[in-house]
Amino acid sequence: MNKTNLENYVKEIVDEFSNKITKTYQNNNEIHFNVELNDMPKICDYVYKNLNARLATMICSDEQKNGGGFAIRYVFEKNDVFIFIMVSTGQGFSFPSIALYIPAAALYEREIKDMFGLIPTGSPDTRPLVLHEHWPDDIFPLRKEFELHTKVKRQEKKYQFLRVQGEGICEIPVGPVHAGIIEPGHFRFSILGENIINLETRLFYTHKGIEKLAESMKLDDVLLLSERIAGDESVANSSAYCQAIEKIAQVEIPNRAKKIRAIFGELERIYNHIGTLAGISTDASFPFGSARLNILKERLMQLNESLCGSRILFGVNRIGGVRCDITDENKKLILETLSEVSNDFEKIITLLKSKSSFMDRLRNTGTIPKKTAYDLGVVGVVARCVGIDVDTRRDHPYASYYLHNNKTSQQKMQHQIEMEKRAGDALARFEIRVKEVRDSFDIIKESLDLDDDTLFVNMPEHLEPFRSALGYAESHRGQTLHWVMIGENNSISRYKVRTASFCNWPIIEQAVLNDIVPDFPLVNKSLDLSYSGNDL
Amino acid sequence: MMKKSRKEIVGNGIETIKDFANSFTSKNYRGSVTFKVSPTNDQRRILEDSCPTKALFPIKENDAMGLDNGKCIMCGHCSEVESKIIEIHSKPAIPTRNRNQLIDYSSPQIFSTEKPYEQIGNELKEKIQQMFGRSLAIRQVDAGSCNGCEIEIAALNNPIYDIERFGIHFVASPRHADVLLVTGPASRNMEVALLRTYEATPDPKIVIAVGACACSGGIFGDTYATTGGIDKVVPVDVYIPGCPPRPQVLLQGLLLAINRMKKIE
Repeated sequence: MNKTNLENYVKEIVDEFSNKITKTYQNNNEIHFNVELNDMPKICDYVYKNLNARLATMICSDEQKNGGGFAIRYVFEKNDVFIFIMVSTGQGFSFPSIALYIPAAALYEREIKDMFGLIPTGSPDTRPLVLHEHWPDDIFPLRKEFELHTKVKRQEKKYQFLRVQGEGICEIPVGPVHAGIIEPGHFRFSILGENIINLETRLFYTHKGIEKLAESMKLDDVLLLSERIAGDESVANSSAYCQAIEKIAQVEIPNRAKKIRAIFGELERIYNHIGTLAGISTDASFPFGSARLNILKERLMQLNESLCGSRILFGVNRIGGVRCDITDENKKLILETLSEVSNDFEKIITLLKSKSSFMDRLRNTGTIPKKTAYDLGVVGVVARCVGIDVDTRRDHPYASYYLHNNKTSQQKMQHQIEMEKRAGDALARFEIRVKEVRDSFDIIKESLDLDDDTLFVNMPEHLEPFRSALGYAESHRGQTLHWVMIGENNSISRYKVRTASFCNWPIIEQAVLNDIVPDFPLVNKSLDLSYSGNDL
Repeated sequence: MMKKSRKEIVGNGIETIKDFANSFTSKNYRGSVTFKVSPTNDQRRILEDSCPTKALFPIKENDAMGLDNGKCIMCGHCSEVESKIIEIHSKPAIPTRNRNQLIDYSSPQIFSTEKPYEQIGNELKEKIQQMFGRSLAIRQVDAGSCNGCEIEIAALNNPIYDIERFGIHFVASPRHADVLLVTGPASRNMEVALLRTYEATPDPKIVIAVGACACSGGIFGDTYATTGGIDKVVPVDVYIPGCPPRPQVLLQGLLLAINRMKKIE
């Protein structure tokens, strides 16, 4: 972390709002400012516009027991620093909405309204988000007084979709049960002929109450839960969770464990990116390409199985290090498999790129405007495909990624030029995934010289109640953030998860606007969004 | 496990491996939990406490311990705390027709011989031939899964497992389906959709619960947001344990399901 960055931001914000900040403190790369509820919109606006920071997440927690009402933390990300603006609602049950000038806040505010029953005053959209129409109005699952196992009676109500009217306009409702082997979600298209006039997504069908459930579990068990937030992001999510706990306990994990986390993180990225590329190929009506890529995916999943006992990399992490070692024999297996896979991968990509029908289908399909992507605060591949240069592995190096940050100025320049050229269409996303698969091969090879070290460090018996920290990782979809606040007796008082999918879902409504209905599956696949990671 | 000489990847060679005698399973695979010896009283308490999904439970009447494969998520915590008693075996737990059959008891377990993937597939093909005449149509329904089970179900379609050669294919609508393959703990938000999918499927129909979540709620349990298993919403014919179940086991589950059906006259 760059010390001067942090100090500069503190100084800048304190200079501007010195009389409005009640408390300031730092925790590693986090700066916290406690402010009054009424001053919050102005300060958030300043951080967003003048500091040019991205709204990373909004965390609400029920702290009524500690006499603080509900606390809301607005987390902004700027370079390698997370800026927390914290407010308390005190006795009231509302807070001022900032969605009108920070559009990314809209979904968080709707989520807080559903889960805590706090009203975002002045918000343009206060329809229910997580709890669908059949939930009663007075149920707020994340409030402390709500009991986890409560069975709520269904009620009859209707959800208001946005109505597009005019001559010849009709609606196509799709889902929640889709045609393929994918997760559930509802899409409402308004179309004129084949052209999509408007798309509205309705998600949260797979809402499983993960955040509430974590509050009733042991720290070690929540790790298993975090792996199952989205089955294909298990390493990224569990790494982020472990880091949050390790940051709270102020322990540093052994170097060997850091490298193993990075290796498995990259293995996860490779098999999923190859799976997505296969999906793109299917949706662009080129099944041969997808069949061949799926062979590679299967080989990688078999590699996963031999390394850690699970085909989708469950059980890699533990709090304080890793559970699964990479032996010398396994190193050989990794190198052999990867060299084979990377050879074959290049052949398939060359083939795909030589098919004009395939490339034409991707080019200019699902184009995202850069401004919109910025406003909605997208992350990961979706951000990089329009040239927004964010990557948690570089911006906030975790595990052993700091070892891969030493780029020459020529490499940096090249990277910048590449970023500028990105068009934001499905082809850009295709190319980025190809590039990232290649990069991941390299990162794994570079990480394989493991230090002679233990796999984990012992954690302190007791963690101090009400300490909190933010853990983060870059999954193949983008940044995943896990914020943990410890409760009494090593329990969890609040576990807030924000995966990349939550940030990236809204962009799909914008990405399809210049396309026709048959393009939708391709656009959807090229964005590679997780339903379960979004719905929690 | 890896075959040395590979086919040219962009050629037209057949990747589907005919000899599945070893079924690809690595010795490291966490397939099922087995008891080596019966645990003592204290050990039972420790084991029960170590299990995040309460799959291990003490049986008061005969001082034994039960293991509910329908709840087990293969985390391996139990074998870490009591390695003398619990062993993680690479052979996966097998699908059953009845929820109670998923429960093992703390007598050391005898495995049924595992059939190779290819053999299960061919038996299945024969049954489908008798029952439906050539094809079995599956509709997959995600009722709140984490996407892990979907990855494995999708793998059945890849050229290596190539399930279509046994006459099984995935269809886009429940109205075309013979089998519903349901994953996830049945989230409350999906309850109605699952029920309506079931109603839309023509008779005779089979419902297969795939994975620990679908069998029992798994790690997500029975909370305000879930119903604690598919069988709370629709009648289930076959339970496939695992987190997630590997493709071989999925196929085994399908075979079990089709054996249960009566021929349509």
